[in-house]
Order: sequence, then C-alpha cells, then structure tokens
Amino acid sequence: MTPVVSGAGWWPILSVPIAVEADVVTARQRARRVAELVGFDAQDQTRIATAVSEIARNAFEHGGRGRAQFALRDAGGDDPPEAQRQRLVVRVSDDGPGFGDLDAVLEGRHRSKAGLGVGLLGAKRLMDGFRVETGAGGSTVELEKALPRRRSRLDREDLGEVVARLARERAVDPLNVLSEQNRELVRSLDELKARQDELARLNQELEDTNRGVVALYAELDARAEQLRQASDLKSRFLSNMSHEFRTPLNSVLALSRLLLDRTDGELSEEQERQVGYIRKSTESLAGLVDDLLDLAKVEAGKLDVRPADFTAAELFGGLRGALKPLRTNEAVALVFEEPPADFPPLSTDEAKVAQVLRNFVSNALKFTPEGEVRVSAAHDRDADRVLFAVADTGIGIAPEDQPRVFEEFAQIENPLQSRAKGTGLGLPLSRRLAELLGGEIALRSEPGRGSVFMLSIPRVFSGVAAVSGAGLAEPPIATGPRDRGACVLVVDDDKAFRYALRQMLNGAGYGGPAHDVVEAADGVEGLRLARAEPRPDAILLDLRMPVLDGYAVLRALAADPLTRGVPVIVATSTAEASGADARLAHARAVLSKDGLSREALVAALRGAIAASRAAAPEGER
Amino acid sequence: MDRIPILKLGDALLVTIQVDMHDRLAAALEEDLTERIAATGAKGVLIDISSLGIVDSFIGRMLDTVAAVSRMLGADTVVVGMRPAVAITLVELGLELKGVRTALNVERGMALIGRWLEDGDGDERDGPAAGDANDGDGG
Repeated sequence: MTPVVSGAGWWPILSVPIAVEADVVTARQRARRVAELVGFDAQDQTRIATAVSEIARNAFEHGGRGRAQFALRDAGGDDPPEAQRQRLVVRVSDDGPGFGDLDAVLEGRHRSKAGLGVGLLGAKRLMDGFRVETGAGGSTVELEKALPRRRSRLDREDLGEVVARLARERAVDPLNVLSEQNRELVRSLDELKARQDELARLNQELEDTNRGVVALYAELDARAEQLRQASDLKSRFLSNMSHEFRTPLNSVLALSRLLLDRTDGELSEEQERQVGYIRKSTESLAGLVDDLLDLAKVEAGKLDVRPADFTAAELFGGLRGALKPLRTNEAVALVFEEPPADFPPLSTDEAKVAQVLRNFVSNALKFTPEGEVRVSAAHDRDADRVLFAVADTGIGIAPEDQPRVFEEFAQIENPLQSRAKGTGLGLPLSRRLAELLGGEIALRSEPGRGSVFMLSIPRVFSGVAAVSGAGLAEPPIATGPRDRGACVLVVDDDKAFRYALRQMLNGAGYGGPAHDVVEAADGVEGLRLARAEPRPDAILLDLRMPVLDGYAVLRALAADPLTRGVPVIVATSTAEASGADARLAHARAVLSKDGLSREALVAALRGAIAASRAAAPEGER
Repeated sequence: MDRIPILKLGDALLVTIQVDMHDRLAAALEEDLTERIAATGAKGVLIDISSLGIVDSFIGRMLDTVAAVSRMLGADTVVVGMRPAVAITLVELGLELKGVRTALNVERGMALIGRWLEDGDGDERDGPAAGDANDGDGG
C-alpha cells in the first residue's frame, strides 16, 4: 500500500481505530468534529461525516478491523492556485480480503445487503477526492475534501491547536462519560437486583426453616401430650388395678380374721397356724397394694394432705409402738431420741410423716445386721423446717447406687437382700410424700458404715391442703341405750365381702347384738330391698357396682321419702371416695374396706342408727 | 441496555432518536418498532430524528424499511425533524427515501397522523411522495 502522499506536506490530525461497531459511530463523530474545527460549514461537515460513516462501516463489515486517519494535505507553493487549496484527507484502511470486483461496485452494478455499493458510491459523490486501493492484504480508501475557499490557510500551529483540542475533547467526551456512567448504573442495578434476589432467596429459606421449626414444636407438643396421656393412663391403671386387687384381699383378710376369732368354732393348732400364714401373707400383699395405690394416688394428684397439730414427741411415741414388731433382730437397737422440751409443735399431715419415717425405719432395720437405728428430730429455726433423721449402722449404700434407691422397684444387690423382703416402693413413695408435704428427702451413706435417711419438711404445712371431708370423720359413738339387733341391708357386688360383713354383723359369740343382714348384689336390687318391708335400719353401700353404682343408689335413696331417713354407710375401696365428694353428702359415714374391723363397723353402725333415731321425731322402730 | 424508547400516544407510536445510533441499535429499533406495531395495533408511527446530525445509508435504509414494514402492518410512518444538511446529504448519497413520508416537525407529523386516522383507510398512501413534507413553511 503506497501512501498517497504527494511531495507536499502531510499533516496528521487524528487516528481512530475501528475494531467494534460503536467505533463506526465514533469515527463519523470525530470526522464531523475535525471538519468543523478545520473550517467546513455545516453541510460539508454532514457530508464528510456521512462519507466517513459509510467507509468506516465498510472497513468494519468487510475488513473486520482497521482505522481511520485524518490529516491535512498542504500542497506545495508552486502548484496551480486551485491545487494549492488545503485538503482534509481521511484514509480508512483495513486488513480485510479486499473488495473483489471493484469496478462493478463503483459502476453501481453491485448491491450488497450491507449497502456496500451505495456506501462507496455515495461517499465518492459526497467528497471531492476518492481513491481506493484494494488487494488480498487489505484495502485503503482515501477521501479528500478541499477546505473552503474563504478560509484562511491553516499553518502547522493552527493544526497543532486543533489536534490538542480534539485530544482534550476525547478525554471528556460527555456522551462517552454519560454512557459509561449509564453502563455503571446498569451494572449497579444488576448487582442490586442480584443481591435482592439473593435476599429474597435467603428470606424464603428462613421462612422454610421457620416453618420447619414450628412443625417441630407442634410435634414436640404432640409428643409431650402423648407422654402425659401415657403417664396418666399408667396412674389410672395402677389405681384401678390396685382396687381390683384390694377387694378380694379385704375379703381374705376379713374371713381369716373371723376364722382366727373362732367365730365359726375352734381351730386346731395346725389350722390356726395355717390361717395365721394366710393372714400374714395377705397382709403383706395388701401392704404392697397399698404402697402401689399410694404411689399412683400421689402421681394422679389424688392424695390429700390433712394438716393437724401434733408434737414430735407424740409422733415418736406412736411410731415407737407401731415399729416395735418390725425389730426382729435382737442385735439391733431401735432408739427414738427424745425431742427437746422447747420443740415447737408441727402443723402438717402426721400420718404421712409417720408413713415416711416408718419406711425409713423399716428400711434401716432391714439392712442393719447389728448396732442401732436411731430416729431423731431437729428444728431449723431460720427456715422453720423440721428435719427428721433415721441413722443406722448397717451395710450402707454405694454412692453410685444412692440415686437409684428412690426409683420405683429398684433394689440394690446386697448380701442382706435375699433376707430382707421389700416391694422396692417404700423409698420412692416416701420421696413423693415428702414432696407432697413441701419437703424433701436426703440420703447420706457410706458402704460398711451405715446410712442416714433424712426428711426435711416445713414445720407448718402451707400448701393447698384439701379440706378434710366431714363424711370421713369417724362418727361419734352413740352413748345411747344398747342396741337391740337391727336390720342391716348390705349392697355389694362382691359376694365374699358380703359374706365377711354378714359374719361380722351376725356377731355370734361376741356378745353384741346380732343384726339381721339382708344382702343385695347390685344397686337395683339394693333399692328394691331398701323400700321393702321391713325397712332396714341402716344400709351398707358399696360404690363400685355393675348396673347401678353406689352414687346412683345414694341419690335415689336421698330422693325417696321412704328411704331418706335410713342412714347409709358407704363401705368402699374406691380411692376417689372422699368426704369432700358432694355426691356422698347423703352418706352418714364412709368406711374404707381395707382393714375394716368388726369393731369399727359396729361402732359406725351404732352411731349411724343412733343419730337417725335421734333425728326422727318418734322412732318407728 | 441500549434501546431507543418507543412511546404510545393514542393510536400512534412515537419514537424520538436522541443518540447517534450504531448499526445494531438501529437494527434493534427496527425490530422493536415492528413488534410494537403488531402488539398495539397502532395506526401511525412518528419518528423524530431532529437530534441526528448524520444519517448515513444504513440509517436511511432502516427508516425506509420501517416505513415499508409498518405499512404492511397497517400503520403509516412519518419521519419528522430531518435537518436540511442531512436531507441534502441523503439525496447526494443517492438515498431519496421514496417510501417514507416526512414532516417538518413533530407537530405537523402528529397532525398528519391525525388526518390519516380520521380518514380511516384512505387511499392517500398510494401517493406517499413529498407532498406533505414540503407543504410547510419551507425547509
């Protein structure tokens, strides 16, 4: 490619690379500006810029890349006047494969879809000079336009100024800056959008997690509820089953007592011993059932605390008598330390405290081969609590086993275990009872040296104690005239218990009045007999019966004027039978079937009958 | 990002070209405009090129194509605000934009479109020459 330069001056102004599409725009804008700066009018500026646009596009489309060079050609002084005019030259060169049939293009016979023909031809028309050199190595198009005549000649200094100005403008081309800023803005916006999306995604994720947590909580709640129900069910089962056990046990106890009392004639020595064993076994079985029942009651929250005033000395006195039989080993002394004289009275449930201490002592006696078991009481004035301690010199409990002794049915392996019988329920029950009284149980033990079991309770029970029911209170024993035989109606579905009652009430050989006993096996029968002549003097009523239960019978008796005056004594093994129960208001007394003795039964009957006779204006009987 | 905005004004589309378009931008405008005509059922298109200092053969042909395509889609195109220097250059370039109607400025362009809309499918489009473009106060 020979530079098309005559001998005259060739003053370069600017060079614009053409590599991307936007460069075509830049090239024509620069062309317009250059044309303006060197003095062309608006029309020529447009022509030049348009021509440059066409040729630059060609270079970009066909050559791929190239550049546009702007220069001023200054002819030598000896040229003819017209030729001496300064000319703006734009040389656009590319590395493309050339134009091919250049002549055809220039003659307007060629039409390409990019408008090549129009472009080249048009550019040629718009400019004063147009030269093309094309070959396999690339093409160069040179466009030329003479500067306007009226314009004074530009010298090199003027041109230098033009060049400097162009350079400055390029640096701060407002459009470029604007579009750059625009792009920046769009980028920021994109980033912002991406971040927002990310946030939304995170938020969603959090929400999902949250939902999961909520679901988990619901599940946990459901589980807790299930557990509670299961525990409830267990307590109810235990409580109910214990009653089922207790009913026949009570019968066995009552019957064996009748036998031992020689109610039905003399027993041979052997028979007496056998009945004695029966009775003993039954008692221990009943004790086991009692413990179970108590535990179940505490768990079901059914055990009431009945606070009363008593002193530690009284408590110890009672315990001493009750526990003496437990001491079967002569090598062990059972010592009750006398509480100091200024020991303040307690106001809590004496029976429960006694039960706990009894458990402690019987436990201590079981595991003490020799030495002593010492029971003491101390008063903590600051906390106003009473501390009972049962210390023994027994085998002790290893530290790792200590927590386990309060677990239900837990028994620690030891040499005395085989000898000592126990249910494994005593200590757990004691702990629950202590909790019920607002206190706690502690254990200090050393294997081989002995153990100290401690019960610490508030001196004055302050919990919500259940009001002890009037119905449960022992009826006062009537001091009236001796009863003649009365007619007693026994309503109970348990045949064995009815039998035991009848035996007790017939009282043959007792010297007491022989009562007539009428029996009913269920509530309906009971009601019928209660209304029949002869009207009974008293009714012994069981609560749990098929068909019509004791509560319903009681209601019916109270509602009927015929039977309203007949005293009713409820004899039951049902745990929920408490004097506080409004359904039992009509009952004169509530007796527990456990360990019901003839004396207690007779006394209750006598009291009830006497009270009802006193209430009636003129005794019908 | 680089797109020429197209505004809808009643039954007409309004395009104001305010930047020196590179070829792809011009091609994109052609495409967008065609789509919008089809989508909106516009009856007239007004393209304002008063900001353009240079209209070379590519942009010229784009305007020509837009006019032809919109006509096939049932819309008439009027190009307004062409600078005299640009008009002269286009003629010298050999592009007379025979299919494109022109008007001096936006006002007249809108008036022209309004008239077309009133006439409904008038036969006016058969003579799309310079009549309207040159009836103003001389350009």
